[in-house]
Amino acid sequence: MTFAARAALFLIGAPALAAQRADPWIQWGAHGIPVFTQTNIVPGDRTLGELRIVQPVVMLHAGALGDHLRLMAAVNFEKWTLRHGELAPGSWGESFVDRRHPHTIVHELMLSAPDLLGPLDGTLELFVAAGKGFVPFGTDDPMSRPVARFPVNHHLSQVLERAVALAGVRAGPITLEGSVFNGDEPLSPSSWPAWDRFGDSWSARLTLSPLQGVEAQGSYAWIKSPENRPGAGLDDAKTSVSARWERGPTYALIEWARTSVSHDVFIYRTVLAEAAWSFDRHRPYLRFERSERPEEERLFVSRFRTRRPLFENSILGVTRWTIVTVGNGVDLTPRSPVRVRPFAEASYVGIVKVGGGVFDPAPWYGRERGFAVSIGVRLGGGMAMPRMGRYGFPSGHGMPKHVDHASEGR
Amino acid sequence: MIRRYVTVVGTAVILAAACTGDGSSPQGAYQLSIAAGDAQTDTVGKTLPVVYDVLVEDSAGAPVAGVVVAWSVTGGGGTITASSTTDGAGIARATRTLGTVAGTQTAKAVVGGASITFTATALAGPPTQHSKNAGDAQSAAAGSVLPVPFAVLVQDQYGNPVESVTVNWTVASGGGSVSAPSSKTNGSGVARVTLTLGPDAGPNGVSASVPGITGGVTFTATAIVQPLLVKSLPITENYGIHDMYVRDGLAFVFAWNTGVLIYDVGNGIMVGSPSNPVLVGDVVTSDGSIVGGAAVHNGWWFHNPVTSEKKYLFVGQEGPSFGGIGTGSSGLIHVVDVSDLRNPQEVAFFHKAGSDSSGTHNFWMDESRQILYAAYYNGGVVALDVSGTLTGNLASRLIDSIRPGGAGNTYVWGVQLYNGSLYASDMLSGFWQLDTTGAQLTVAAGGNNVPERFSSDLWVANGYAYTGTWGFRGGNFGNAVKVWQIGAGGAPILVDSIVTADIVTVSDVEVSDDGKLLMFSTENGTNAGFWFYRLTDPAHPTFIAKYLVSSGVHTATFARIGGKLYAFGAKDPSGAALIILDVSSLDP
Repeated sequence: MTFAARAALFLIGAPALAAQRADPWIQWGAHGIPVFTQTNIVPGDRTLGELRIVQPVVMLHAGALGDHLRLMAAVNFEKWTLRHGELAPGSWGESFVDRRHPHTIVHELMLSAPDLLGPLDGTLELFVAAGKGFVPFGTDDPMSRPVARFPVNHHLSQVLERAVALAGVRAGPITLEGSVFNGDEPLSPSSWPAWDRFGDSWSARLTLSPLQGVEAQGSYAWIKSPENRPGAGLDDAKTSVSARWERGPTYALIEWARTSVSHDVFIYRTVLAEAAWSFDRHRPYLRFERSERPEEERLFVSRFRTRRPLFENSILGVTRWTIVTVGNGVDLTPRSPVRVRPFAEASYVGIVKVGGGVFDPAPWYGRERGFAVSIGVRLGGGMAMPRMGRYGFPSGHGMPKHVDHASEGR
Repeated sequence: MIRRYVTVVGTAVILAAACTGDGSSPQGAYQLSIAAGDAQTDTVGKTLPVVYDVLVEDSAGAPVAGVVVAWSVTGGGGTITASSTTDGAGIARATRTLGTVAGTQTAKAVVGGASITFTATALAGPPTQHSKNAGDAQSAAAGSVLPVPFAVLVQDQYGNPVESVTVNWTVASGGGSVSAPSSKTNGSGVARVTLTLGPDAGPNGVSASVPGITGGVTFTATAIVQPLLVKSLPITENYGIHDMYVRDGLAFVFAWNTGVLIYDVGNGIMVGSPSNPVLVGDVVTSDGSIVGGAAVHNGWWFHNPVTSEKKYLFVGQEGPSFGGIGTGSSGLIHVVDVSDLRNPQEVAFFHKAGSDSSGTHNFWMDESRQILYAAYYNGGVVALDVSGTLTGNLASRLIDSIRPGGAGNTYVWGVQLYNGSLYASDMLSGFWQLDTTGAQLTVAAGGNNVPERFSSDLWVANGYAYTGTWGFRGGNFGNAVKVWQIGAGGAPILVDSIVTADIVTVSDVEVSDDGKLLMFSTENGTNAGFWFYRLTDPAHPTFIAKYLVSSGVHTATFARIGGKLYAFGAKDPSGAALIILDVSSLDP
């Protein structure tokens, strides 16, 4: 086929594609989880229980020009519901520790062209995207995965809430993405990326999707000074490899990731495997995780916070967290647009010191092994939680198919 | 009868034509002049000893007798004879009693249309009362001179200020001193004295008394023992400011990747002062191939007594702690030539590399022996020969190094030379005395003596040492300052501890040059900031003041500039700044 013929096909093809689906189209969804969590992995040798609303999100997805132009937006309300973070043993990042930090209000605001050239590029598909959102690196947003509580490796396996511009090419089952973005992490739920730092960091991800619902990815990200917004901090080199299965009633993910801080000054590794299976209205799930994290000086006024901005390029040490979580969710509204899915999950938590440093978990927590239990209800309506961060993937290629693990497989 | 009538009427008409308004004499017919009594001086309220005499003459200059002269007071009050009649010599007399207001007093004599004024000077009477006039109820730093002198107003019975009265001044309380034991009143009746407040916080009293007057007046003032902020100079948060070295009115600010900033704070080179630091020069030292950049942390401006040079500034680079704090470290000693303060240049470096790789922290110098001692974290303590000209790699200048706690138990924060011994504060293994005989370093005493906390900075003075603590260890925060008695042989003996609530780290410790004041800086907590203790009993310091800084103070150092004692502090981010406090009141 000549180039001109491809161009003509592209021009007339857009309406044809739109005809398969309303054009322009728009979808929305809302999601939130009231959850009570209790754990004895708390600074000061005590047990703590808290009821919070986690992951309160309103999403809007829209497409136009035969889905050649797509908008993805997610507003996160954790600034108001998780002011002091979500009690979650092992969680760390953005000055929170042993609590998962609240995400920024504008969690995602991306404009993408999933198939930029239509038929012009033949068997290839070029795509671009830009806005505030996920960097093409690592695995899916934990919000879209079976376990309600975030994994410890969130800051090792995902890079999000950045000003990002990405481009990619897809050839059959192979997708290659590259991006540039700002290295600085958010300072607070209200913060925006440091625009003057846009482009100081980059990432690349290669995804292989041999079958529908089956994929493997390898990715790398070089992030300048994520911990220090003015840019004076150490740099991260992140590597991630994962394989994902999502077919029929089963879901499984296995991942390995490594973050090297400034040429191995500090190294944090993680392995994680999780699976879920749906039957009747039930969806039991399991997660095994072993992740390392930095230990930094805690604030006197809150043992769940660390000093920001950082003052030196040093840490107190590294700890390795082994967490095994089992849980089950029940769909109470299987045929309703409103989702009500209570769940319960329990975790074993083990902590060990890795290498040197002065941080010792035993006196800090009063123990090196403990538990965490959570009971909550996944509430939602409209569009289900998407995987996020796969902006170039058209429907049918994993994003945005709007996978909802709580109902998958029925 | 008719003729007589005409004669009488004619005379009356003539007289009427010649009379003034008072009807006593013909208008314009008289000339008045002072014959006596003018320009007398006497005390208020007194009758002048010389009566006022006015001479009345006619237009031809002949004295006129029998003319009635009217007298009246025109200024200053008092009384005067209402009227009198001229005698045969044309003189009329009046008695003048002065009014009660000191100063010029006037009265006049009037005849017809003519008048003349008598002037007298009324002096204040004897002092009968005194009162506070100015300076009462002031507050100022203890030991300082009050800005407004105490002033007493002395008055006579009528309230006139009395000059040249002696007022005696006595310090009644507070332990201060007055500028003179007595002073005389000036023309306004005011006597003044200046009070230098006593050394302690609290009320000061000064009594003023006047001989001959019953009772006295007491002035009060409040001595405040409080650091006074004179400057907060923002420093770029890259990562901010870590330490200062102040000498000869120059403040060397060590500001991480912003480098070394040299400020005139009283040197004169740029007419700077503590309240107005002026940047003289700056330099970013090399990163030495250490990740994270220059990471300028601390320094020492070497005044070489052998060569009389002030050429070299030693700069410590605090690189990342490989493996975590307590295990690994990195960073070089950089040598900067500051011969030209406006254009400092890095000229040499020392790197403890290879299998012994480690990074430097705080310095101390034996300037007379031209030896730089550097705390080297897990590398222990390093002694470096810095004599002569310094260029390039100074690896060959290494004299000796020692890990006092042994491998795995050494992480030295700071060192200080005192009485021939080198004292080292080790985060892991506590407080050590090292022997430097022959420049070789050996353990003399101490060590493994602070097991419950991580140690931090140190200072040795007055035969005592003070060491800070850091972070969290074994259930304890680093909220203590350990007080050590330095024994006869120099060995440290723990004698006391100062525990500060609601902080995590005591980050720096220093004693003032006169040995009277202990200062330490604190971080991470509601009591972060500067803390000051008096060393009247150096074994048991007593708290006198604090200056809290919410984000914390990383390091602090004293400097005496222009006769005043200042505390310089490195304010942590957010809002990193060089903070300068006037702490003279704490060290009277």
